[in-house]
Amino acid sequence: MSLIEVENLTVTFRANGRVVRAVEGVSLSVTAKESYGLVGESGSGKSTILRAICGLAPVSGGAIRIGGKTIPTPRGRAFARQVQMVFQDPYASLHPRHTIDRTLSEPLAIHGIGDSDARVMGALDDVGLPRNFRFRYPHQLSGGQRQRVAIARALMLEPGILLLDEPTSALDASVQAEVLNLLNRLRDERGLTFLMVSHDLAVIDHMCDRVLVMQNGRAVEELSREDLSGARMKTAYARSLFDASADRMLGDLEGTPA
Amino acid sequence: MTLLSVQNLRVTFETENGPVEAVRGVSFSLGRERLGIVGESGSGKTMTGRALLRLIRPPGRIEADAMIFDGQDLMQASERQMRGLRGRRIAMVMQDPKFSLNPVMTVGAQLTEGLRQRDRLGWDDARKRALAALEAVQIRDADRVMAAYPHELSGGMGQRVMIAMMLIPEPDLLIADEPTSALDVTVQAEVLSILDGLVRDRGMGLIFISHDLRLVARFCDRVLVMYKGRVVEELAAADLMAARHPYTRGLLNCLPRIGGARGPLPGLDRSGDWAE
Repeated sequence: MSLIEVENLTVTFRANGRVVRAVEGVSLSVTAKESYGLVGESGSGKSTILRAICGLAPVSGGAIRIGGKTIPTPRGRAFARQVQMVFQDPYASLHPRHTIDRTLSEPLAIHGIGDSDARVMGALDDVGLPRNFRFRYPHQLSGGQRQRVAIARALMLEPGILLLDEPTSALDASVQAEVLNLLNRLRDERGLTFLMVSHDLAVIDHMCDRVLVMQNGRAVEELSREDLSGARMKTAYARSLFDASADRMLGDLEGTPA
Repeated sequence: MTLLSVQNLRVTFETENGPVEAVRGVSFSLGRERLGIVGESGSGKTMTGRALLRLIRPPGRIEADAMIFDGQDLMQASERQMRGLRGRRIAMVMQDPKFSLNPVMTVGAQLTEGLRQRDRLGWDDARKRALAALEAVQIRDADRVMAAYPHELSGGMGQRVMIAMMLIPEPDLLIADEPTSALDVTVQAEVLSILDGLVRDRGMGLIFISHDLRLVARFCDRVLVMYKGRVVEELAAADLMAARHPYTRGLLNCLPRIGGARGPLPGLDRSGDWAE
């Protein structure tokens, strides 16, 4: 049975009397412990789907079910324990005037979970940060370290589902590798389900079992990992994304005689 | 033919904790070709680009044994001579159109400002040149873009406007600092082919600064790999896959690949002498 079901989701915004259809009739379903990718260009609506699930964007039509139940509006505490999100820019998503300790222990306080001391230390260990980082502020950390804090924060309530919105696009290649490895390790250890957005097909291919290609707010094509790596896409748009992927450039290069 | 030659370039910033060297002895030469400079954040690649135009403010300091552009030593040039070179002979495209275009001027006003001030053109001629420049970077509805403010444009459009602006004076050398990192892959390909055409048709020299090794390998003729302010390896782009330096190899290996193995990605080993 699928854990996350999105059925005919439509998200519309009204700006200056204009109606903007950010997402139009997108359906997808993710089974438990699966990793599902959303890929597309800027403005294709991929991040908006994650935001709609979290209640950060208005659901104008369609349904979102988690574990077979329609999610409530407003989302509420039970939802927060089930689903958490990691945002794209670790420079913007951590409170600049809160210490790491305060960022990590706030969800515990809200949910009345005790033993916060040990849990914060445990969370830092889990994401591979030294314990003495606990009383630092975000500006004293590098981008990769901040993203680790953002992942630790998302995991404080031990949710089963992580929504990942371009978690590594603001990071250097070597740091991206570390964060992707961390996410995969946590997924194995805790049996997490990922719904992940990225514009980088190589990252999606590395992380995800299935991927949905989006364009202009609509779903274009769903691909399994095998179809993606075997270049068996049916639509022209998915193929153009595949061909333009930087990863392919390297492949071509290897083929040319040096 | 050498357009630019740089010997032992250093950029130093005085801080409370003593001097910090952002660029530590970089040397290279450039003909009418595409030279890529790659490196991670903090490797000094942007500082190298800015130092070529002497665009580093005190307390930053630029030192070099020689920095010769077309027979003229940029280190000896007066501020007045530098102003004559900037834009006209050497132009730079900055990373982010959101921060590099003036938010309270229309695109048209920004494009024609230089033409009217520098080249003393009248309104009509300046406008014609600006429209031609926008068309040269494949902007189809140039009239609409001329009347728009930067916030009304998408990232890719803004990036193209900046390239158009830098190309109006027909510079001999263009320094492009991550010109495509804010763009989608398909738009990226378009912007690269525009730059490529300009190098080929006008014989312009191009310094392409990027953090993306794969992109640089595809697009440039030669590549400098920088780490902590030094050039650790210089090689022809076609030989990139045969790179020997451990840092370059590490950068290549830590990228996920479509159809690659699913195991943990190798990290970057920074334990060698080169990482000092």
